[in-house]
Amino acid sequence: MQAQRPVGNPHQPSLRPQPYQRAEACLPCHRRQVDELRSSVKSGYRSVSSVFNALELSGNFLSGGRLRPVYGDSDKITAIDVTGVAGQGKPLNTNMNSADAFTHINQVQAAFCIGCHAPHIVLMGEDPEQREIPELEGVGGKFRPDLIRPLRDYHFVDSSNRQILPEKIGGPPPPGARPSLGAQGINCDVCHDITAPDLDRSPNRDGLANSSFELIPTISKIGPFLFPAPVKDNFHVASRDPDQIGYLRSSDFCGSCHDVRVPGDGSGSLTHREISLNPESRSVSLFRLENLNTEWMTGPYNSTRNPFGRVIRCQDCHMSLFPYGQESTYRVGELEVTSPTPGQFPLNFAAVPGVSTDRNYPLQQRQVVTHYMTGVDVPILRTDELRARLGQDYPDVDEPGTDEYGIPLSLAQRREDLLKAAVRIDLDKSDRTAQLGRPLTVKVTAVALTGHRFPAGFSQERTAYVQLSIRDNRGFLLYQSGYVVDKPHPEVGEMAPDGNLDDEDPEHLHAVVDPGHPAAVYRVGQFTNGHRNQVFQSGPDNGPDARIFFGRPSGLVLWRNELTRVFLPGESLGRFNEQGDPIRLTRPHMEETFSAVLANSVDNYRSLPPLRPRTYAYEVVLPTREELQLLGVEELESPLRVQAQVNFLHFPPLFLRFMARTTSAEGPGGRDYHLIDEKLIDDLLVNVRAIASADLTIDLEAP
Amino acid sequence: MIRRELQLLAILGLLIAALSLWIGYGEAWSQNGEAGAPKRNPNYLERNPFYFEGKVDYELLGIEQPVDAWEFMQRGIHRQDDLEDREGAIQDYRAAIERNNPENGTCQIVKTLPSTTLEFQQLTPAPCLFTPRLRLGYLLLHEDTLQAIELFRQVTDIDPQRLEVNALIGEAYELLGDQASDPEDKEALYLQAVGALNAELALSPVTELTRRLTGDEANNAHAHWNLARIQEKLNNLPEALLALDQYLKATRWHSDVYPWRIPLAQRRMERLRARPGPSSGQ
Repeated sequence: MQAQRPVGNPHQPSLRPQPYQRAEACLPCHRRQVDELRSSVKSGYRSVSSVFNALELSGNFLSGGRLRPVYGDSDKITAIDVTGVAGQGKPLNTNMNSADAFTHINQVQAAFCIGCHAPHIVLMGEDPEQREIPELEGVGGKFRPDLIRPLRDYHFVDSSNRQILPEKIGGPPPPGARPSLGAQGINCDVCHDITAPDLDRSPNRDGLANSSFELIPTISKIGPFLFPAPVKDNFHVASRDPDQIGYLRSSDFCGSCHDVRVPGDGSGSLTHREISLNPESRSVSLFRLENLNTEWMTGPYNSTRNPFGRVIRCQDCHMSLFPYGQESTYRVGELEVTSPTPGQFPLNFAAVPGVSTDRNYPLQQRQVVTHYMTGVDVPILRTDELRARLGQDYPDVDEPGTDEYGIPLSLAQRREDLLKAAVRIDLDKSDRTAQLGRPLTVKVTAVALTGHRFPAGFSQERTAYVQLSIRDNRGFLLYQSGYVVDKPHPEVGEMAPDGNLDDEDPEHLHAVVDPGHPAAVYRVGQFTNGHRNQVFQSGPDNGPDARIFFGRPSGLVLWRNELTRVFLPGESLGRFNEQGDPIRLTRPHMEETFSAVLANSVDNYRSLPPLRPRTYAYEVVLPTREELQLLGVEELESPLRVQAQVNFLHFPPLFLRFMARTTSAEGPGGRDYHLIDEKLIDDLLVNVRAIASADLTIDLEAP
Repeated sequence: MIRRELQLLAILGLLIAALSLWIGYGEAWSQNGEAGAPKRNPNYLERNPFYFEGKVDYELLGIEQPVDAWEFMQRGIHRQDDLEDREGAIQDYRAAIERNNPENGTCQIVKTLPSTTLEFQQLTPAPCLFTPRLRLGYLLLHEDTLQAIELFRQVTDIDPQRLEVNALIGEAYELLGDQASDPEDKEALYLQAVGALNAELALSPVTELTRRLTGDEANNAHAHWNLARIQEKLNNLPEALLALDQYLKATRWHSDVYPWRIPLAQRRMERLRARPGPSSGQ
């Protein structure tokens, strides 16, 4: 770990600047890489994603627009200075990407989302001529929720490369619109212009989290090879700096974005004291939203104590042939596992021979990385809209065929195959006999085969769970967990079940999140901006809380981390008691929230840890003979059949419904931003079922 | 002479060791910036001012021997969930509660908040934990039901809005009722159970807004199922019928982990309606 951790401050640029290029500029020489990258969600899709845009908008509704970038020519001041005293503001003209070091929380908030998803666009914005995302006129109490545009409105240019906007806020693409540079999101130049970690902007001075890298657009592009070939016509030069190359090849490179620490007003997380360790920003407290890199860093893949006996980097799974290469068989605890082997790379040319090198310098085939960077996300956007916003050649998520290595071109297929490589379960520790009216214990042992916890990333929304059923030999259903029920969703106008189970949450919890509402006078915070739970009830399959807080072996096994709001005495819970009065708290109360902006605590330990098998018991009571007789069932037929499988949802439907409502005319903006609606959820949200499964039979004995 | 030199060397060695420790301590101190700063292990969650009440994978904590309430709670969870060491878990939860006890001043039921940020962050004494109480209570539910109830009651004092605690209190009173031989005691205990289950239902009531947003006419199927059973034991047939009806409404869009209970509830309602007597609801 230490060997690959860069230390010290970044190098100063010594080569001539070069404006950030569109991916098309790289295409003639690096066609394969550009094609692969285009179907990665981080490039293109994320910029126009309904969910990303809705989430960013909803965060701005609650925070008073503080997630939008400010620039060097801003006349804004901070509302609260470093000492936490209101009314002594300082100039706020740097943002998460442009600040040399953080001295107050508003700097970290400014550009908080877009700062990782398009850092170059934020940095380019320092030049008003190149500014793609404007600064909001008013923030805090002066914020106008009715005037804010979703970020994706800004990602259009005309044929002269001049920015054009949809006629209406959140409206369809304007006629003749082409995708802007920002629409490409993380493109070639972002990664290959990163020269070093920026320790001064990373909360723990380790170059991790919140885009804490040094991004310098010069003609020097950093690739993975120590001895690169000379580039034709010096369009760029390839860095020979071993530090830069080593950084690009390290997990730390990915970790500069794939830990997300949310700056907290006041105490940050109310259940975990964590402050920025930077000398100038010790008053900035944080809580961990995405904890992926830390999970890897403190996990077995960041050591030789794993089945492969070597450090497995992010690139070894997400930029290799994985999971389409060879397989390995190994033991994890008591489980024998066969799964794809990380770190197998194809042999290929890094650039197109004959067109890419100076004086036609001969290229040799080397081990190269793939640029699919497949994760657990797929677009929740129709192909026609993706193409309207990102170009008509934007790849279809379900594109048929495979590439030259046999890797599916379909992102949906790659995602599913990756998920299937992520986890294994078995039922071997379960009881082997059962009796009517007596408790029966079924045990699911699960292990994540990932380098991080599973699920990871935006792990408070990514949802993996165990669906388990017990039936008698004739199919009589005795027990179910992790089941879903087709039901109406009146909060979004679906008044009757629609026949679709993929848009349903598991039955551990019933929650509806307040979307907020338009108000004559805007106030920062929860008053009219929603985010609290309007409905919050335990469901019949309430395993997560039962297992964690009560130690009760029953109910849903859910591997989803949890955002929590610690409500304090005197606060309103946001819903009503039986008498119709608002519930005001007399004691602190911790409750799951589906809003990262409302959360002031997070539980990042509900996901499945890597390579450490965990066993989950289900204590089930079988019906008595009398109960069966009352049901008209003569007897159960032995054996009982237990079936368990792991399912995956990349967003909880209830979270998407919150996003749909808060960005509709019902929400604080008072207008429909055309981001998410029930039809989009119905059409595109997919429950990926049975990514792992196990079966068992249990003998039913006479009492 | 040699002995004296050895003694001097030993003293010198001790001094050097102490100095090294002090320097190391100072270094750690300066890295962390200030007294009480977080430990460098990102998985060790230092309270701020509330405790992290969930389960951290014990292997990640680096705890050799627990010393405070939170560490005992974490080891107890590890012993219970990962090692299936019930007795060890009980010991650890007791140790956690002993170190987080309002009666000996090691924790407080937070009713008001300090006025300054610093006082809030330090919140002295620490807030009372609910997880070790809930887990210990659940483990003791059958063998020391009264103590379990006491522990659950402590949790309703710490956080009256926490779901499912009152339901467990109801479950505990029902157990006591089942064990009681005196009919009056039995009835009183069942009524306590009914009260607790109703308190559970009141925490997430079905209001007009709930109906409008969800279409649900009732919630908390398991509380209604348990209520029906207890009301039947009390021979309160109309109340039992009502509870079964609510159970059916609550499962309409949510089913049940025991789906066969849904048709069974209907049969039980038919059977209850068929019972003779003034309290059958007919």
